Amino acid sequence: MKGTILRGSLSGGFDVRLDIGENIEEIKVGTFCVVQGRRFDFFSMVVDEDIEAANPKALYETVSDNPLVNEIVQGTGILDKVKIQPMIMIDRSDGSVRPVKSIPGHLSPVREAREEDVFRIFGQPDATHFHVGSPLDMEHIPLCIDLEKFIERSNGIFGKSGTGKTFYTRLMLCGMIKSNLCNSLIFDMHSEYGWAARDEDKNRREAKGLKQLFGSKVAIFTLDPESSRLRGVHPDFVVEIPYQAIEAEDIALVWEELNLNSTALESIYVLQKHLGRDWLLSFLKMEVPDIESFAERTGAHTGALQALQRKLMKLERLPFIKENPADDAVKRIMDYLDNGMNVVLEFGHQKSMLAYMLVANILTRRIHELYVKRSEEALGKGGMVNKPLVIVIEEAHKFLSPEVSKQTIFGMIAREMRKNNVTLLVVDQRPSGIDPEVHSQLGTKITALLTEEKDIEAVLCGSNNARMLRNVLASLDTKQQALIIGHAVPMPVVIRVRNYDEEFYREITRPVKPGLGARLKESRNLDDDPEMSAPGREFEELMKELYGE
Amino acid sequence: MIGEVIESRTSEFVAESVEFDQVPAFGSFVKVRDGNRTIYGIVSGAYTGSLDGSGRAKAFFKSMEELQMEQPQIFSLLRTEFSCVIIGYREGDRYCPYYPPAHPRLHLPVEAADEEEILGITRSMGYLNRTLGSPAGDGEELTAAALRNVAYLQDNPREYVLKAGRELLKMLGYDTQRLKNIIERVDVV
Repeated sequence: MKGTILRGSLSGGFDVRLDIGENIEEIKVGTFCVVQGRRFDFFSMVVDEDIEAANPKALYETVSDNPLVNEIVQGTGILDKVKIQPMIMIDRSDGSVRPVKSIPGHLSPVREAREEDVFRIFGQPDATHFHVGSPLDMEHIPLCIDLEKFIERSNGIFGKSGTGKTFYTRLMLCGMIKSNLCNSLIFDMHSEYGWAARDEDKNRREAKGLKQLFGSKVAIFTLDPESSRLRGVHPDFVVEIPYQAIEAEDIALVWEELNLNSTALESIYVLQKHLGRDWLLSFLKMEVPDIESFAERTGAHTGALQALQRKLMKLERLPFIKENPADDAVKRIMDYLDNGMNVVLEFGHQKSMLAYMLVANILTRRIHELYVKRSEEALGKGGMVNKPLVIVIEEAHKFLSPEVSKQTIFGMIAREMRKNNVTLLVVDQRPSGIDPEVHSQLGTKITALLTEEKDIEAVLCGSNNARMLRNVLASLDTKQQALIIGHAVPMPVVIRVRNYDEEFYREITRPVKPGLGARLKESRNLDDDPEMSAPGREFEELMKELYGE
Repeated sequence: MIGEVIESRTSEFVAESVEFDQVPAFGSFVKVRDGNRTIYGIVSGAYTGSLDGSGRAKAFFKSMEELQMEQPQIFSLLRTEFSCVIIGYREGDRYCPYYPPAHPRLHLPVEAADEEEILGITRSMGYLNRTLGSPAGDGEELTAAALRNVAYLQDNPREYVLKAGRELLKMLGYDTQRLKNIIERVDVV
């Protein structure tokens, strides 16, 4: 792409007139270009294209019999115009990158962006800069996300179904695990992250899971050991949730799934208040006379309580809710996380929203509590700080809808940002269902194609140039293309996401050079802690212990 | 020599043809040597009439051959003059695409510009601006003629007309209809 600046403004972007001979059909929305001003290079993105006539009458001319006339007019009287949005300004004298605060002059030359431009802005692949893909039409140039910035805040991955959200999530998780900057806890609703999952690409049968790639750095927990085994996965731990762990707040989150009204929700809080820790089990075991006497004591309505009991019976059908579980799942998860491992919790066949939300909420709440406590202690003693934890949740709009986000732990985590070193990676296909307040707190958003106006609006809320990016977002391919906006990239960028293939496997499993992981100075030095149990040992050993030779 | 300057002003000059029936082609390039300065012009019109300019020729209703035989004297009473718009001048090695400091003197001989000269002075498209605004009136016609003459001297006439056309379109205020009128008369497709 070659052209010159035709007109422009700081707020509205620039119009570039394409040089004669350039083919507008070959310039895609979302590609990068550089405007060479007198002192600055303006790194910009193509956001729109149109046809303009110097003299509007010319637009109504018909095709002339003399091809020469048509050729003369094209590019002179009728202009192919590309609308670009300046994103970043680079001072050519010292190479410093800064936000755009001025505009280049008329007729400043515009050229395609080159590798060095991309590197100057997004950085070169290294231990903390993760190569996620390449700019559109520049497939040879790696484009990086700054992982240190990425994990500083909660993030979102959005896109219509079938656009590869899982794929993007897995890719980002690979980057995070490899970088060793944080631990992740993945609530894997469809059991796609831990072990091999069917790949979207028909040419290959399976995409390797995190456990296959990272071995001892990843532990698979499961709610459904049967399903895991059937798929040939050897889970590290089977999660069971005790009734005592379920609190009124957890039930409130799944009110829709349990079909509870607001009166029922109030009754739950009353139940918890009167029955204590064991409220749920005690309530479920109540016979009719017990309910009546309870109602009498507390002034509740008997019929309402009976209805509530019937509805809560649904929980009994969830096989992983146990009266006396063998082990405390939260403690085990914490042990693994403390050993620098990443935990994938598979739901197997328990993929109802009820199970997913309940488990995710219960576990996250307790883990968050522990993290908060630790960071408070750390503040007090000025000592150890938690290693950042990234919690991955799918169908996030269920947890973060405006109705519930204020009450759930997830809403809280999203709001408090990195204060306690716990952040979310929310994966969702209906971003419009997520509380706008939460949206505004999301640091980085990776967005595949969205077509619903409301969803596009939700994702772009709070970002500059939303109007420009809208066109870009709606014109993405359905596969392997995503828009990244926010904290971890200096500017919004459309990428062709890299392939998840053998080459990627090789690169991601190549050992990190020593010393790179040490950048995270505040991370706990767990190797020296003799009290920690053994989950950090090699994958093979674990397998032997669990399943014999 | 094809003529002699008989009227001269800053923007154009008029010359009388050596022979009444010999006139340089409309839109062709001519030059006048005035001291060490060569002034270039484009033929923008021609006129043939009676020698004294007072009366009009009379019609005889005969063929040219008959007239030559029967009334040979009438031809010596005729004269032809042609006007040229000035497009620039050369002094030494330097070509200046604008009016010379002084208009050409009267009675200087007018010659046809040679091919090399034409290619040199039409490298930049400034002359089209002069032909478009020709004082003789029909700027579009003159421009088309000049362009046609120049194009045929080029190795790649089409490329040249394309380039000239783009300049013309700007000069015409992006009026594509007028551009079309001109380009269609250039005979290059």
